[in-house]
Amino acid sequence: MSNFQSSSQADGALLRLLQLASPALPVGAYSYSEGLETLVSQGVIGTAADLEQWLSQELRWGAIRVDAAVMLRSFEAVRTQNWAQVTDWNRWLSAARETEELRSQHWQMGRSLLHLLLETQAAVSLPPTLVQTLELESCNYAIAFGAMAATWEITAPAALLGYLQSWATNLVNAGVKLIPLGQTVGQQLLLSLHSPLLQAQADLLHLADSDLESWSWGLSLASMAHETQYSRLFRS
Amino acid sequence: MSAANGAASASWQGKLHLNYGVTGDQTRLRAPFAQAPLKIQRPFYPEAGGVCHSILLHTAGGMVGGDRLSIDVNLAPESKALLTSAAAAKIYGSIGTEASQNIQIHLGANARLEWLPQETIVFNQAQFRQTLRVTLDPGAQWLGWDIVRLGRSARGEEFQSGNWRSHTEIWQGNRPLWIDRQRLSGSTETVASPHGLAHSALVGSLAWVGMAVTPDFVEAIRTQWHPDPGSSAEIGVTRLQQGLLCRYRGCSTLEVQRWFRAVWQQIRTECWGRDICLPRVWQR
Repeated sequence: MSNFQSSSQADGALLRLLQLASPALPVGAYSYSEGLETLVSQGVIGTAADLEQWLSQELRWGAIRVDAAVMLRSFEAVRTQNWAQVTDWNRWLSAARETEELRSQHWQMGRSLLHLLLETQAAVSLPPTLVQTLELESCNYAIAFGAMAATWEITAPAALLGYLQSWATNLVNAGVKLIPLGQTVGQQLLLSLHSPLLQAQADLLHLADSDLESWSWGLSLASMAHETQYSRLFRS
Repeated sequence: MSAANGAASASWQGKLHLNYGVTGDQTRLRAPFAQAPLKIQRPFYPEAGGVCHSILLHTAGGMVGGDRLSIDVNLAPESKALLTSAAAAKIYGSIGTEASQNIQIHLGANARLEWLPQETIVFNQAQFRQTLRVTLDPGAQWLGWDIVRLGRSARGEEFQSGNWRSHTEIWQGNRPLWIDRQRLSGSTETVASPHGLAHSALVGSLAWVGMAVTPDFVEAIRTQWHPDPGSSAEIGVTRLQQGLLCRYRGCSTLEVQRWFRAVWQQIRTECWGRDICLPRVWQR
């Protein structure tokens, strides 16, 4: 079997990434559609092609870019033990969130992941004052994800791609339920997102703080409309 | 326009420094400084309650690549000011250099600023960047709107290329209350797609920041929306951590103005106990 080489260190990091980016991570991601429920009910998104276009545009110009870029900043701050920066970026992200509903989503998922981090990684943990501040002020998912990825010694490019891919997987699953689409169509859609996912990864690894910006009108309006939507399956 | 002379050095570097303070019960504008093409009209006091109204003027007609405008506004504690502009702002197309407007605002304790400029028309191929940074002392409130037309839609122009970047940040001490960093890169796709402009050239935001808002109040604001017959505009209202945010995406300046003025009226009557007072420059 000499053709197969493996490094137990890299494989260990890969295993932890697969766990962190998995839809089975118990943070409740499946209960959020980030406005897709409204867009489907309005008839704006009605096909796999519509959904692909929406998600690839999010990756090119949308709020997910800022979110993922801040995840990286949390990763770096935890890696270098710059705890004050973790708090600063968490506040920044809470203030930058498009709507109240999206802010609640990211806080709920962040709280769940932060608890998971504390309960599974007691030895490596974050300083208690930081954890207190994050719990008091509500921790964004991107902040907790970055902290977890740094603690688990996943590389920055891999953590970034994992974050983006798990976001895409969740919204494709939401679309599969809402439109509805077949499971195979959903998998094809995910494959077709590989190119925008890789492009976003490449862009965001070197994004300057002054370029943390996005076009958010489509997402904001959909999410604001979802806040008042009468009948809802999803929490965002 | 001096910038039409061609040389980059002919670009405008406009400046405006405005300081407001309270004398007796009346907010006064103290020794304003203006450098062309920016000017400020003599302030006036059309309403009871001590609010000082001021009107900004851009005397060159519009901005071209290379122009840089810088505006500093300071409100002393307890002062109340309303700022608007004399006419729509225009940002012309550019071959590459960026036009920029940098606005810094500080509101002292319990000060209130109503920042209500007329719309900005961003021509196709424009390169424009605006940064607006507001710092609030305790008790201070910001009520501001921004209405932007992307492409001269009246003549069928779409924002097919160019960049509009608008970074608005409102801080209280070292805490960010609202960060809104928008960027639209013009393209066929962004003009058409529901994620982008959805063929609506006009976007507007109204933010009221500095105090907590109840869900009931947000609901009341939503009921102020009355679209024009046949309008395809979309709107939304949401709560900020300390305030509220209204968004509009549509086509009609009058429609968004009507809604934003109704929201402004609602905030003034319910929370500040007074009616709105339309600046006379709007009444032409």
